[in-house]
Amino acid sequence: MQTVLYVVVSLIICIAYFQFLDWFLMDMQGLDYFYLFR
Amino acid sequence: MGRLLSCLTRKHKRFLAVAALFAMGGMLILPIFLSLPALAGGGAPAAGGPPPDVVAAQEAAKGEEEGEKIEMGRDVYYKTEGPAIGMPAPKTEDNELHYPRYNFESRVLIWVANQQHLYYGSFVLAVPIFCMCIEFAGMMTKDKAMAKKYDQLAYDFIKISLTAYSLTAILGGILIFTFLTLYPSFFQYLSSIFRPVMHIYALLFVAESGTLYIYYYGWDKMKEGLLKWLHLSMSVILNVIGTVLMFLANSWIGFMMSPAGVDEQGRYLGNIWHVIHTALWNPLNVHRILGNMAFGGGVVAAYAAYRFLSAKTDEERAHYDWMGYIAMSLGVAFLIPLPFAGYWLMREVYAYRQQMGITLMGGLLAWLFIIQATMIGILFLTTNYYLWQALGRMTGGERFQRYIKYLVFILVVGLLVFITPHTIVMTPAELKAMGGQQHPVIGNYGVMSAKNGGINAIIMTTILSYIWYQRGNRIPTVKWAKFGNIFMGCFFTVAQLNNIWLACYGYYIPANVRIGLSVPQVAGTLSCLFFMSPLNLAMLKGGKVLGPIQWGRIPPRSQYALIMLATAFTWMMGLMGYIRSSVRLFWHVNEIMRDNSPWAYTHTIGFAANVISFNVLFFWISILFVFWLGTLGTKKVPVPAVEPVPGAPAPQPAVSR
Repeated sequence: MQTVLYVVVSLIICIAYFQFLDWFLMDMQGLDYFYLFR
Repeated sequence: MGRLLSCLTRKHKRFLAVAALFAMGGMLILPIFLSLPALAGGGAPAAGGPPPDVVAAQEAAKGEEEGEKIEMGRDVYYKTEGPAIGMPAPKTEDNELHYPRYNFESRVLIWVANQQHLYYGSFVLAVPIFCMCIEFAGMMTKDKAMAKKYDQLAYDFIKISLTAYSLTAILGGILIFTFLTLYPSFFQYLSSIFRPVMHIYALLFVAESGTLYIYYYGWDKMKEGLLKWLHLSMSVILNVIGTVLMFLANSWIGFMMSPAGVDEQGRYLGNIWHVIHTALWNPLNVHRILGNMAFGGGVVAAYAAYRFLSAKTDEERAHYDWMGYIAMSLGVAFLIPLPFAGYWLMREVYAYRQQMGITLMGGLLAWLFIIQATMIGILFLTTNYYLWQALGRMTGGERFQRYIKYLVFILVVGLLVFITPHTIVMTPAELKAMGGQQHPVIGNYGVMSAKNGGINAIIMTTILSYIWYQRGNRIPTVKWAKFGNIFMGCFFTVAQLNNIWLACYGYYIPANVRIGLSVPQVAGTLSCLFFMSPLNLAMLKGGKVLGPIQWGRIPPRSQYALIMLATAFTWMMGLMGYIRSSVRLFWHVNEIMRDNSPWAYTHTIGFAANVISFNVLFFWISILFVFWLGTLGTKKVPVPAVEPVPGAPAPQPAVSR
């Protein structure tokens, strides 16, 4: 159970970090990360 | 001299060392001080005043009013106006006046002279930087025996570079004579443009020589306390001088590729900063300094491998195994960001002239880029192979062996995507067999979006290999070790998936948005390096050690991998230098000065590859001679038999007594 909890928490942190990084660095260049989804 | 130094008191030594340090700092600043009158007359913007080209334009306008005519020119890159005070670029013809020659292709002669000078120049730039890092590591290490080993290693490094330094100067002389003999008009034009900074280059050379000799010969006189710090400070000054020298040399090739500071006739417009600071100068500076460091690390690692393979005792083997590992680690530390700097350079080339970028990557020289991609793949595969072999010198390293095949899979897939050509030259039969200019399936991988994903996957895997190596003989015992391990696994997995997602996403959005995706891809890879390495070290702090690292207990094939790494570096530097140079096509200075020699055409790929390979062979034969000279000195050093591994000989006094 503890292992599952650790995996879930880690995945949430990592996915949030990388998605924020993608959006932030595109935004810094004046580009739209969500171009395809608008 | 030695007797004189040995009877000095400690106080005198300190005074002398401080004086020497100030003299070196002074020598570094002297050229800038000397050039102040030149700079004030139109070199760089004066503090608080208008830029010099504006001042010059105003003065020229004033001059016109007074009746004397000064022609104005418009900067081809910066688009500013300035007085055309230089001579226009010479219009050359194919004759003995502009292109005197021997019964041999002048271009190949200058190519070889240039390449050899560059190989040695980059070697002697990189090695003192390594020395500085290793000497600093030795000073920071609390373990005295280890500190002594680091110090001895730094001393060994600088000894190798001293012979190479004189060879660099000789090759520089040969290069200048070759220019003057074979391309006098071009050399005269280029040196007239860079006249305001030519003497700075020469003076920096004097400063570098002086600093290097004091640094080397003062090693044993300055090995404790404040004196040691002063000695380290000298290496900082030495490396600043070396780096500034390289930046100046880069400004010449930057000017040849993307000229600025001159009008369309090539007349100098009075602002030397514009001439130096061209569109490609900074990308070249960053890419070259990283490349030089990776190359220097590779060459020193190859030297250590050569000594390892020829070693007679276990102690020698242990020492050179350790030396090879340190050199390889330093080289790879600079290899990891190198593709990103290369990507930035190419991006700036495209921004400067789209046609130039297309010639490089989608036209005449594209096949050479495929060779380059293959070489980059070989570099990373070899690095990983060495790290996996090195796990064998640790008790506990065998735990990772069964997972290596998965890393090999990722590396190979990344490499195959990375080396897929976009379009290739084919016969009609081949074209028909493939069903078009591009293969219906793997043709999709021949675009930058996929290749960025490929190289980032390779680099992430290399970082993971290194983290495994750090863990080779240790088990983390911190309370949060379980969460740390799971978090690290998730981080690498999500980083790889994010990288693949960005590579795929690039196919569905327009080019101007897609090009921005390369930044988060790089940032993801660097996140793995900068977050996971410290996390790993934090977890291993106070960890359980399964056994000592047994230096020297490594299969000989790992040493051949180091030699291959160095050879691939050398080959790639030659290849990329040729690509960068030949992208100017029939121009000496792009769009300013035309090459009207009989050798203005672009060589066939086969011929170019042969000359590049000859250069590599020539460099390695000559550097083996330098290595051999290095062994002559060390044979006189008594090796203590009971030194703990890695058995380093004690530093020898460098002055005669």
